[in-house]
Amino acid sequence: MENIISIRLRAIALIWAVPILFGIAFATGLVWLSTPHSTWAKVAVDLPTSGTLFPAGNGADIASAQCLICHSAGMVLRQPPLTEEEWVGEINKMRNSFGAPLPTDQVEVLAKYLRGIQGSQSPSRPSVLDAQGS
Amino acid sequence: MQRPKVLPSQPSRRRFLAHLGGIGLTGLLGASAWEAMAAELVELPFANGRRKLVTNFPQKGAVLLQRTRPPLLETPFEVFDQGVFTPNDRFYVRWHLANIPSVVDPATFGLKIHGHVGRPISLTLDDLVREFKPSEIAAVNQCSGNSRGFFSPRVPGGQWANGGMGNARWSGVRLKDVLDRAGVKTGAVQVRFNGLDAGVIPQTPDFMKSLAIDHARDGEVMIAYAMNGKPLPLLNGFPLRLVVPGWYATYWVKMLDDIEVLDKPDDNFWTTKAYLIPDTPFANMAPGQKGVKMVPINRMVPRSFFTNVHNGTVLKVGQTATVRGIAFGGDIGLAKVLFSADSGGHWQEARLGPDLGKYGFRQWEVSLRLSSPGPHKLMIKAVNTAGIAQPDHANWNGAGFMRNVIESVSVRTT
Repeated sequence: MENIISIRLRAIALIWAVPILFGIAFATGLVWLSTPHSTWAKVAVDLPTSGTLFPAGNGADIASAQCLICHSAGMVLRQPPLTEEEWVGEINKMRNSFGAPLPTDQVEVLAKYLRGIQGSQSPSRPSVLDAQGS
Repeated sequence: MQRPKVLPSQPSRRRFLAHLGGIGLTGLLGASAWEAMAAELVELPFANGRRKLVTNFPQKGAVLLQRTRPPLLETPFEVFDQGVFTPNDRFYVRWHLANIPSVVDPATFGLKIHGHVGRPISLTLDDLVREFKPSEIAAVNQCSGNSRGFFSPRVPGGQWANGGMGNARWSGVRLKDVLDRAGVKTGAVQVRFNGLDAGVIPQTPDFMKSLAIDHARDGEVMIAYAMNGKPLPLLNGFPLRLVVPGWYATYWVKMLDDIEVLDKPDDNFWTTKAYLIPDTPFANMAPGQKGVKMVPINRMVPRSFFTNVHNGTVLKVGQTATVRGIAFGGDIGLAKVLFSADSGGHWQEARLGPDLGKYGFRQWEVSLRLSSPGPHKLMIKAVNTAGIAQPDHANWNGAGFMRNVIESVSVRTT
């Protein structure tokens, strides 16, 4: 007796399962179609940070406090050797064009430091500096 | 003058596995620091040219680290031997300002078109895809300062070798159609483009570039939402990037979200005081030269490169080898590529691969059989359809822009 009831219940469940599932799928589809949706996925990334430090020396503290506000140290360390005068030009470009909050009285110390860590060029050649801000 | 330095002219690779106490040091520095120290190093062929080959930038494979923040990443040159389209994950990266959004949500993103227009509008990415005719172009995107590291005398700036460029198939919509939707008013002179990036401090001028109104409406300038069939990597400008075929990449504004039609010339810093070149053939001048008229950088010039031979490559005497590379015409199509196996004494036309668009790379190749042992200087020179050929002598300017001298490599035969 119990067996027969159980079989009947199963049969009813099976018969109804198809239309019910179909209905759910159809309704979901309608909701999806009526909702504005985009094919574009959100993009979220992590940008790496640099652990590169300026080498020790008189002026390294200024370089760390000022240059690193806007860019990592590697950019400076990969530059070709420049004269002290050219470094002054680069530093002043950062101050005047890009707003680096570097006090006037630190320019010379920083220029000497940067010339020191990059090796020096003969000051007798014409300056390679181009004052533009690119 | 700089002392001449004896250097190979192609990156030589060297595994750099730091001999630094192994496991103990790993524990001390943490796994990521250890990984960075074990990075492969590449020697770019100029003084102070050692660069790390890194894989820790999002959506990027192995690229050369020029600067971490804001990112400056170079395409390793061997990538250009693998085909004319530069894969997105190896495509070079160049940002000016470090305040770059690390999250971009298309659900809230809008491209604004405003200024001297009839009706200011804001478009979603779906609007662009569904409401505008799709457009596609193969075009080279090249940094103004690509190859700056080869300048002599050296100049400050990003010290690229030749990998500050890439070629992609850009898909999107025509800028002209988008401007028409907003209705450009008479009297418009320029169109200014701005992206989501910004300076770290408010004093830094926001990065914006402008094009003349007629250029902006020429039907070729595009707003791209895909690169090589995929959404752009965030570091290449997701979700939208301006594509200015034939012009240097400084104009290809990334993360483009603001287009302003101007009724007077743009006076913003990046247009008037940056990216200027001497108004001379090939932007050439002498160091220290005074009174040179400067103008905004603009159209690209032709270039060609060897991709499967480099300085020091050894070839067998009497055997035929295929020498190949890539070339492009600059702001116009490529007419021919000329190859010399004797330091420029004689030139022969190289065979060209399929033309996939006049602004893109084309592959070239020659069959080379050298019959005498010893060193041989191979040279390659592109000529575009306007008849402009790469010059014999390298140009010079203080910003390190527009290098396009004939490329040469020294091979040996045994």
